[in-house]
Amino acid sequence: MNQLTEEERKEIIESPPIGTWSLMLIVSLSMVAGWLFLYYGVFLPRGMIN
Amino acid sequence: MHIDPLEKKWAQIVLAICALFVGIIMIDALFHSVNAPSNVETINSATLHLSEEFAEDNLGVQIDDKGDITIRMVAGRYSFLPKKIAVPAETKLTFRWVSIDVLHGVHIPMTNMSTMIVPGFVAEIETSFPKPGNYPVLCNEYCGLGHDHMWSKIDVVEKDQWVKPQITSKEGDTK
Repeated sequence: MNQLTEEERKEIIESPPIGTWSLMLIVSLSMVAGWLFLYYGVFLPRGMIN
Repeated sequence: MHIDPLEKKWAQIVLAICALFVGIIMIDALFHSVNAPSNVETINSATLHLSEEFAEDNLGVQIDDKGDITIRMVAGRYSFLPKKIAVPAETKLTFRWVSIDVLHGVHIPMTNMSTMIVPGFVAEIETSFPKPGNYPVLCNEYCGLGHDHMWSKIDVVEKDQWVKPQITSKEGDTK
C-alpha cells in the first residue's frame, strides 16, 4: 500500500465499496431465504397451531 | 451524531428484514390463526382424579356432538396418560394437558406441538397433524430421575380410517 501514489489512494478511497455491498447482499439474501424456508417449508406444513 | 453511510445502509437493511419477518408473522396470526398458544385456566392438580374433566374415564380422545375433537391428557412422573391414542390427520384437534405433580413439557417431534405443562394450569393447544404416522410424545422439561423414560405415543391415521370414539358432551363424558 505504501507504493501507491496519492492519486491511486484517492481513487480507492472514493470508489464505491463493492465488496461490502456484495457481502451485505449475500448475508441479507441468505438470511431471508433461510427464514422463509424454515417458516413456509418447515413450520407451516407441520400444521396450524393456536 | 455522525453515522457512516454504510452503517446506515446496514441498519436500513436489518430493519427492513425485521419488518418483513414481523409482517409475515402478523399476517398469519391475524388471518390464518397461527398464534403462540396462550390459555390461562387453573385447576387443582392434587384432585385431578376427582375433577369431572380429567377423571380417568375422561382421558384420551373424545368427540362432541358438534364434531370437535378434544384430547385430554395427564402428565405425571414418569408417564403421559393415556399411553397411546389415535387421532385423525388433517383435522383440528384440541389438546388439553394437565400435570398431577411437577412441571412437565410435551413435545411431539416433527410437529408443531410443544408446550409446558405447569401444575395448577391447563395447557390448551389447537393444532392438526397433516401427515399420518406414529409420533412419540416426549417430556421436554426435566422432571426427575425418570424423565428420560417419560413418553407415550400418538398414532395419526388417515381421516377416513379413523375410528370415532363415542360422542360426548363438550366438557367430556361426565355421565
